[in-house]
Amino acid sequence: MKLAPVDYVILALYFAFVLGIGWRLRKRISSSGDFLTSGRSVPVWITSLAFIAANLGAVELIGMAASGAKYGIMTAHFYWLGAIPAMLFMGIFMMPFYYGSKARSVPEYLKMRFDEKTRAFNAFSFAVMTIFSSGISMYALGLLLHLVLGWSFDVSVLASAAIVLAYTFLGGLTSAIYNEVLQFLLIVMGFAPLAILSVNKAGGWQGMVARLPPNMTHAWRYMGSPTDNPMGVEIFGMVAGLGFVLSFGYWCTNFLVVQRAMAADSMSAARRTPLIGTLPKMFLPFIVILPGIAALVLSKMNLGYAFPLKATGGPDYDQALTTLMAQFYPAGLLGVGLTGLMASFMSGMAGNVTAFNTVFTYDIYQSYIRPGAPDRHYLTVGRVTTVVGVLLSIGAAYLATRYNNIMDLLQLVFGCVNAPLFATFLLGMFWKRTTAHGAFAGLSLGTLAAVLTLSSTTAEGKGGWIAQLHTFPSQMAQNFWIAIVAFTTCLLISVAVSMFTTPRTDKDMEGLVYGLTKVPHDATAKWYQRPAPLTVIVVILLLILNIWFR
Amino acid sequence: MDLRVPSGWFFTLVGLILLGMGAFAPHMGAAPLTTENVNLYSGAAMLVFGLFMLLMAWRATRLAKGSNT
Repeated sequence: MKLAPVDYVILALYFAFVLGIGWRLRKRISSSGDFLTSGRSVPVWITSLAFIAANLGAVELIGMAASGAKYGIMTAHFYWLGAIPAMLFMGIFMMPFYYGSKARSVPEYLKMRFDEKTRAFNAFSFAVMTIFSSGISMYALGLLLHLVLGWSFDVSVLASAAIVLAYTFLGGLTSAIYNEVLQFLLIVMGFAPLAILSVNKAGGWQGMVARLPPNMTHAWRYMGSPTDNPMGVEIFGMVAGLGFVLSFGYWCTNFLVVQRAMAADSMSAARRTPLIGTLPKMFLPFIVILPGIAALVLSKMNLGYAFPLKATGGPDYDQALTTLMAQFYPAGLLGVGLTGLMASFMSGMAGNVTAFNTVFTYDIYQSYIRPGAPDRHYLTVGRVTTVVGVLLSIGAAYLATRYNNIMDLLQLVFGCVNAPLFATFLLGMFWKRTTAHGAFAGLSLGTLAAVLTLSSTTAEGKGGWIAQLHTFPSQMAQNFWIAIVAFTTCLLISVAVSMFTTPRTDKDMEGLVYGLTKVPHDATAKWYQRPAPLTVIVVILLLILNIWFR
Repeated sequence: MDLRVPSGWFFTLVGLILLGMGAFAPHMGAAPLTTENVNLYSGAAMLVFGLFMLLMAWRATRLAKGSNT
């Protein structure tokens, strides 16, 4: 793919705006709260878009198109079965506790509700994970730019890291959030034409249905048995594993996204953040997944379009998106699409770095290294941590170039850490009898259960280092079942240990647990500002989508 | 800072660039699989979106001024 001068102009224009936003926002920073939590002052439409944009890094963008080509419309379950219900739950039931508790981070909520050890467990594992995710994002960007445009890997990685550092250092979380929104708009504007053009060329949805095996164009019909559908998952693993444990775990407890809602300017806005976010989120599959499916159809139509081959043989679906761009985009729009792709890499990185610096400053530094210092000190620490976070991410990116398999492994391990967390939050927020010891025991043993499941089962040749008790038809199925096992273990152990340990008094838990918290009720708000009507609309739309593509 | 202002300007400018490409250089770096003037349509869409954002931002400042006086 070769870029024309106009493409470089658009790329440069975008970076000028990104840095300009950071520069303009620098004046708003006068305390650590302004820098790390946006001083809880961001308007709701911005937090809503940032909430979904933080998750729409380029790894997801490319991955969703690739999954579309590999698994077909079933990929949309990540949205229609997973993310949307989880976001609704988050806005309606969980946000009152996060926002109302005045916690500045998810680990800090765990400290308020339980005790230090659960917070430390969550804070440390989260800090390590954000650095590696950010590194993986950078690595993927460098690799892609090298592959598609022939740019130098080193220059791509270092230049993008420098831009991210510049705008997060200047404007903190607000700057990261504002740029995420700009990136989100750019992705929609830059990739919607690709979806329209590629689907039209493939004969429209009806033409795609006619040209593909039926299990690629039906999301639900072929889920009775794992051998019937391309994902190799059966309905229970899908609904319980992806739809419940993994998605609720991610959207309700991952500080990276929760942080965006917590930056909202009022409780009501914080609750509406994920609810409003579901509306654009619901239609993203049409922009990010459909082109992948269309690419598969096009590759079978003798148009001269084919997937590039991987070094190990077999089609490289990860290049579906970029090869489609080369086929459909003239100079100009190509620049917009590529800028969108680079922007999403960077905001993926910036999202991780801004979550990392908050957790490190408040949950590690202020808690264990130097408590009780004046706020100015923590603002400096937050800034320094931003620099350190970017440097560590670069290190992680280079680690990935050396040990490619280590990244696969790390992602599996992250899955093990994330899987049980939702059980801890569910019990902590809705069952006041849950004790600190119970939560910690459940969380640690749940994580252990996930690791044991991973190391005693195999899927596509991965896992099973200790024993080979079971073979899953796909890695997807293995991931879902690891999550189910981890969640169940965490839930049962937490309940059991809580029954034998002393709970805290009700007075200590005001604002932290259901039943001891005044759930906000905006009787004066307009109907579309209240959670209930919004939710009803979203659920109806969601049902229509699921039935349409059943 | 109202985010609608920079994003409005950004899409207005990019929209104008693409419109220009579509109008004056429709065959430059043409894409193999399509004969449509992709730049023209996308540029027009982005321009409209950019101007809409600017309009909303301008309305918001006018309303804010009105309530202050």
